[in-house]
Amino acid sequence: MIEFRNVSKVYPTGTHALNKASLTIEKGEFVFIVGSSGAGKSTFLKLIMREEVPTSGSIIVNGMQLDKMKRRHVPMLRRTMGIVFQDFRLIDKMTVYDNVAFAMRAIGARPRAIKKRVPYILELVGLEGKGDRYPSELSGGEQQRVGLARALVNNPQMIIADEPTGNIDPEMSYEIIELLSEINKRGTTILIVTHELDLVQSFNRRVITIEKGVVVSDTVDIQS
Amino acid sequence: MKFSGLGYLIKEGIKSIWTNRMMSIASIGVLISCLLLTGAAELLTINVSSALESIGGTNVTRVFLEQHITDLEAVHIGDELARIPNVEKTVFISKDDAIKDYQDTLREDIFEQLTGEGNPMPNAIDVTMTDLAYYDDTIAAVLATEGVESARDTREIAQKLTMLNDLVGTMSLWIMAALVLISIFIISNTIRMTMYSRRFEISIMKSVGATDTFVRIPFVIEGMVIGLISGVIASGLLAVLYNVVLNTMKDIVALSFVPYSQVGLWASLAFVVAGVAIGALGSVVSIGRYLRKEGNELLGW
Repeated sequence: MIEFRNVSKVYPTGTHALNKASLTIEKGEFVFIVGSSGAGKSTFLKLIMREEVPTSGSIIVNGMQLDKMKRRHVPMLRRTMGIVFQDFRLIDKMTVYDNVAFAMRAIGARPRAIKKRVPYILELVGLEGKGDRYPSELSGGEQQRVGLARALVNNPQMIIADEPTGNIDPEMSYEIIELLSEINKRGTTILIVTHELDLVQSFNRRVITIEKGVVVSDTVDIQS
Repeated sequence: MKFSGLGYLIKEGIKSIWTNRMMSIASIGVLISCLLLTGAAELLTINVSSALESIGGTNVTRVFLEQHITDLEAVHIGDELARIPNVEKTVFISKDDAIKDYQDTLREDIFEQLTGEGNPMPNAIDVTMTDLAYYDDTIAAVLATEGVESARDTREIAQKLTMLNDLVGTMSLWIMAALVLISIFIISNTIRMTMYSRRFEISIMKSVGATDTFVRIPFVIEGMVIGLISGVIASGLLAVLYNVVLNTMKDIVALSFVPYSQVGLWASLAFVVAGVAIGALGSVVSIGRYLRKEGNELLGW
């Protein structure tokens, strides 16, 4: 669950990235965040991930109050979320399997748990049999599936996807969003930041539009 | 932390030394040099102290008796001297004992001529003082005693050696401090380079919720292993170099040196412990600031 109450963010440079933004995203929702570049979408995500702290206002994510959170508690917050990047951010010298396992190792998972979980997740995202490939041997769509598998492997409550289709062709983009929809059906909250309005329209989900640091529209999910 | 996770982190740390082998070799080289210089300074101090002791300590003065004094009279004079305030003890050195000190330095035939009847040495007494501050008063009282001819003033030599000892001690301390700082700087630089080359992995680790400790451990292990390798190599080199220097010096200076067997174990242990500690410290220094960075800032994008 995400709750923003009158959240403002002013960077040291003087840029007002968010201006008294308030919104609530419930557990299990599927939400698109849209807006032109520089509208405040990235800041919105950084605040959720606690890469930035708000200048004023309060933020609650997955039951944790972020504006008062101590630095040492940040890892616990991040374990409740899986992040998918526009540029995939895969480690080139690692195989698909190791890229996904890396996320489990990074939080101290046991080798036995890793051995069991990684193949399951690879199958879930449609990458069965490709565990020993290297990222460079995969298509853009497949690489993003690896990114998604990595985000999912620690069983987070929420997936945050920052322009997940920005670097892949339209057909593959559709498949990625489909996959995220499937994951959403299992109860995982999905938050997708995108500027591809065609894609957003074809999925008919809740859409939050941010412009100049302000939430300008919030259409209700008509499917749920 | 779970044990399985620790195993993974140790493996990562060691792997990283190989991945950045050029920098690792450079840091090992610098660390070995620093450890060796520090060790050399420390061994010099130990040897100067030992030389000081072998000269007879700082508070023993040899008092020569008049030529005609017999052994029995000398013992009586010794008792008399022992009653002077500030005299801790007296040891009688017979003329036969005194000449033996020169046995090694004189030719055999000359030495033989000087023993027995031909012995030119007077009987002597080694006077140990409680407090050198009263040296002048005590020595005046000693010289006023009947039968005493003269006293060898070892104070000047002792003072010079003590000064040298202090100087070497202080200097080696400063050299050590400077070298430790240099070593920490070099290691922290190496680790910083490793961190830079692995910043991408670190950013992913942080995004999935790795704790600072978890991110830090492989780098600390890398630093410690570099320190350990340096410590072991430096120990071996010191053993070889010390023995070479000792053998050379023995022929030049007539002083007793501390054999390596007496200091070797401690030196090796100190090298390894210092190497590992410097390695760990160097890593911790470089990681702290890096860990506070987030996302693209960490990646430098």
